Amino acid sequence: MNKLLPLFFLAISFADFNEKQNQFIARQGQISFFSYTNVENIEAKNNQVLSILDIEKQEIAISMLMRAFVFKKDLMYEHFNESYIESDIYPKANFEGKIIDFDVNTKEPQTKIIRGKITIHGITKEIDIKTTIKNNNGNYNLTGEFNLIVNDFEIKIPPILSSNIAKTIAIQFNFKYEPYEE
Amino acid sequence: MLLVHSSLNAQGLLDKLENEFPDKPVYEIATFKTTRIGLGHSIETRKKGALEISLYNRYWNIPDFKGQRFLADVVSIRYGLDYAFSDNFTLGLGYTNHDKISDGFFKYKLLKQRQNSNKGLFSITLIQGISHRKVEGIYNDNYEQNNASSSSRYAFTSQVLIARKINTELSLQVAPTFIQRAENPLIDDTKNQFAIAFGGRHKIGGHASIVSEYFYVTNPLKSIETYNAFMIGLNWELSHLLLQFQMTNARNFAEDTFITQTRNNFNAKDGNFHFGFNATWVLQTKKKKL
Repeated sequence: MNKLLPLFFLAISFADFNEKQNQFIARQGQISFFSYTNVENIEAKNNQVLSILDIEKQEIAISMLMRAFVFKKDLMYEHFNESYIESDIYPKANFEGKIIDFDVNTKEPQTKIIRGKITIHGITKEIDIKTTIKNNNGNYNLTGEFNLIVNDFEIKIPPILSSNIAKTIAIQFNFKYEPYEE
Repeated sequence: MLLVHSSLNAQGLLDKLENEFPDKPVYEIATFKTTRIGLGHSIETRKKGALEISLYNRYWNIPDFKGQRFLADVVSIRYGLDYAFSDNFTLGLGYTNHDKISDGFFKYKLLKQRQNSNKGLFSITLIQGISHRKVEGIYNDNYEQNNASSSSRYAFTSQVLIARKINTELSLQVAPTFIQRAENPLIDDTKNQFAIAFGGRHKIGGHASIVSEYFYVTNPLKSIETYNAFMIGLNWELSHLLLQFQMTNARNFAEDTFITQTRNNFNAKDGNFHFGFNATWVLQTKKKKL
């Protein structure tokens, strides 16, 4: 048994190694969000979103720093981080999920559902996100739009400012993947 | 064994991303949020292109005042304009109607505190202020006037603001302060004064915090009786509008004046209690491109 154990671990690590050939990473993924109200429009963009795509398992993970969002107005950036999203306590937002019926080989753009869990402000929610997947010679590109409800993530908005911030926030994303090498 | 292996892998994708985050320094933001803690400056400067329009009000009563005035016997207002030429450099101007002091300052952010790092434990901001008074009373008292020369109407305040955001709730600031005044020919008083300003903020909600400040003067004026300025108040942020409510014994707005020439102690005795209300509107004149 003792002799077999190292072999066993070797087999596992080898399997790991094989898997990585199926993984793709996006280091400069883009996520924007929009809050439109009669009082004011708030828009922010994060150009440093990380995402990893495993085409064999058809799994996807996304992670970003909330502090990396850029706002048109700097004071909004401070309010967003300090008073709403509390990025000192919850510095990141994460997503992990599976792409349902993902056809790895087709060169045609395909629209699929990603089903998974999104974590923002320390609150995790199940979510389905529609995405358009393009395969440019093995470099995948995922784009899409979805909505989030502010209330779902226990983000507190004082009543006096409730007319400044939309109840539903529109989110756009765009990830360009390249083969993942460690 | 296989099960363990696959579950490890499922966990793996997010963990892999964890290692991909670039190792860039993260600087603390919102140590005080407002550019003033209350009476004095905080280490905060606004980002490039921000214009702050401010109205600072102070209300108090005159002891044994026989007249009847609405709300308070005296209302003093400082009208202020601050403009951020860069993220680290701000120029400000103000005028106070009651004591007729015009003041100006420039403020430079020297060091920024870093998050989760032993380097950069503090934020440091330098500030140089100048004030000019139109009416040279016996210090801040408008009722008695003397004929001081025009050179004695200027005063200079230099401060090194050192602050640390201890945690998300608590921020503290210490500021060694040097005040220089042109000599008054009529009164034998010191020309240079030193003070240490202590300030703190404690957050009580997402948008509100309790703030307090105390100014210790090492060599107070001898010709008049003065007290150290103290303030306790509430800061409330409403999007572009920042509101501050204060209880204090300080009457003036210019640093050199209220730090060294506050003539009443902090208590509720007739005429000693001062209520302050500051409203600051932040306008972003240059918007970032996304």
